[in-house]
Amino acid sequence: MDATFIVILVIALALFFDFTNGFHDTANAMATPIATGAMKPKVAVTLAAILNLVGAFLSTEVSKTISHGIIREGGDGGVQITPELIFAGLMGAIIWNMLTWLLGLPSSSSHALFGGLIGAAIVGIGFTAIDSGQLLSKVILPAVLAPLTAGLIAFLATRLVYAMTRRYDGKPDGRAGFRYGQIFTSSLVALAHGTNDAQKTMGVITLTLVAVGAQSADHTEPQFWVILVCALAIALGTYVGGWRIIATLGTGLTEVKPAQGFAAETSTAATILASSHLGFALSTTQVASGSVIGSGLGRRGSKVKWGTAGRIALGWLMTLPAAAIVGGLAAWVAHNFGTVGLIIDAIVGFGAVLFIYLWSRRSKTDFVEAAVADVAESAFAVDIPEEIEPKPIPARIEARLEAQAEAKAEAKAEAKAEAKAESQAAKNEAAAKAEAAAKAAAAAPSEETARSEAAGTESESNEGDKR
Amino acid sequence: MSVDWIAFITVFVAALTGTILVVALYAMGVRLLVTAGRVPVALPAEFTDAITVLSKAEIKQASKRAAKAAKKNPLTPAQKGLARAGAYACFALCAAAVLAGIYLIVPFFHG
Repeated sequence: MDATFIVILVIALALFFDFTNGFHDTANAMATPIATGAMKPKVAVTLAAILNLVGAFLSTEVSKTISHGIIREGGDGGVQITPELIFAGLMGAIIWNMLTWLLGLPSSSSHALFGGLIGAAIVGIGFTAIDSGQLLSKVILPAVLAPLTAGLIAFLATRLVYAMTRRYDGKPDGRAGFRYGQIFTSSLVALAHGTNDAQKTMGVITLTLVAVGAQSADHTEPQFWVILVCALAIALGTYVGGWRIIATLGTGLTEVKPAQGFAAETSTAATILASSHLGFALSTTQVASGSVIGSGLGRRGSKVKWGTAGRIALGWLMTLPAAAIVGGLAAWVAHNFGTVGLIIDAIVGFGAVLFIYLWSRRSKTDFVEAAVADVAESAFAVDIPEEIEPKPIPARIEARLEAQAEAKAEAKAEAKAEAKAESQAAKNEAAAKAEAAAKAAAAAPSEETARSEAAGTESESNEGDKR
Repeated sequence: MSVDWIAFITVFVAALTGTILVVALYAMGVRLLVTAGRVPVALPAEFTDAITVLSKAEIKQASKRAAKAAKKNPLTPAQKGLARAGAYACFALCAAAVLAGIYLIVPFFHG
């Protein structure tokens, strides 16, 4: 088959993968601000799309990890990867992704991509095609460590946020203010998503270009047009995916309170951005889930539900090897049957996509819920009681509150005593006046003037009492 | 096959520092706003298909409580002004920290 045709096919497939990635991951970034009413859905989705686009341009380290790191390409005695194998790997990733969405299994499209490529390279070339050191330090270890890092940081941040805004005197604590903060933190998550996930597709396209000799193996920076089309594909996917996700937001996210969500999102964004900078190819979904679980544990009285947490972790562990098997199978078909094999791969792959698309139209909600479930479900991995005892007040603050209450009571008592004394004085005065008036009346011959004067003083003394 | 463990520690320390800085500054800002008697109350969601975590009645109640707390604020107007200025300064610093973090990771700015 013509090499140019295969390259175009691979690029189209990679962009489709990029599109589905954006489509799938909008919920990670924008579901919380939409759910808590901090942002209108239209605004949130548009913003997420723009920030994904911008994020894709910010850094190219992750792209280099894929195009130059894990899979050895030509030059210095390395093995040559072919566009056919990349095509098979992508097919493996897409088929596995579609399968997990259909079954509602927690998965990671990034790991599916790595798995597919690795499986295809191993089957097509052999174990020498993989730089296992790079694979371990740039993909496998980050996959384990990044969610833990994000979780631990989110835990500490949540503790800090709650401690800093806690009020012991029962007055409003203003934690609703974190809703506005969430607008910015979710924007950061969208940006971070662009810096990591859009890069993966750029890496795959660059790898293909290097494999056919269109780009030197020594300069594996993605070319500008590659960055541009990948950024556009992920932004478009984000925009399109948002509409479907908004319509069926899961209830899992309501478990996340604004202050907690703020801490979790900051942790997610910081971890992904720092990792992208060092070229770690992460699963953004896994980092976001780690943060949600960590921040849940940061709230008082929370407990891990090991069953749910274990199911999520198992899904994560399965993704890479499972996609590798599917990718390997696709590579085996392409390798042994040549052009016919490639056509078989393409038919099976597009058939799977078409089938799942049609299926999703039939049972819309299931499909979308499965897509949203990944991060939302991690909120269910932590059990947070609805009603908890108020936190015991520290002695230092209790003493201060008591002193305040005492001072208040004292001031009140004083004010009361003063008011009483005043009214008493007014009464005395009024009585004295009345007496004087009565005396004057007794002395004066006219009765009428005396009565009217007495009435006047009486009303005056009444007023004094009221005061 | 060597693993660059320093890189993992770098990511952890960088992410931790960034997160704690942003979160602490924002929380301090919220706290100072409350101290200044301006308790933030979330607006009700204006669309039907999202989950409204706060209902209109709850928002009303929260606004009432906020107004009551503001009325009973023991601070003098000058102190309130100071707290408010401090809150805005915290929010500004928080935004600056985020921008500085992004500046650090974008190679474009470093030639």
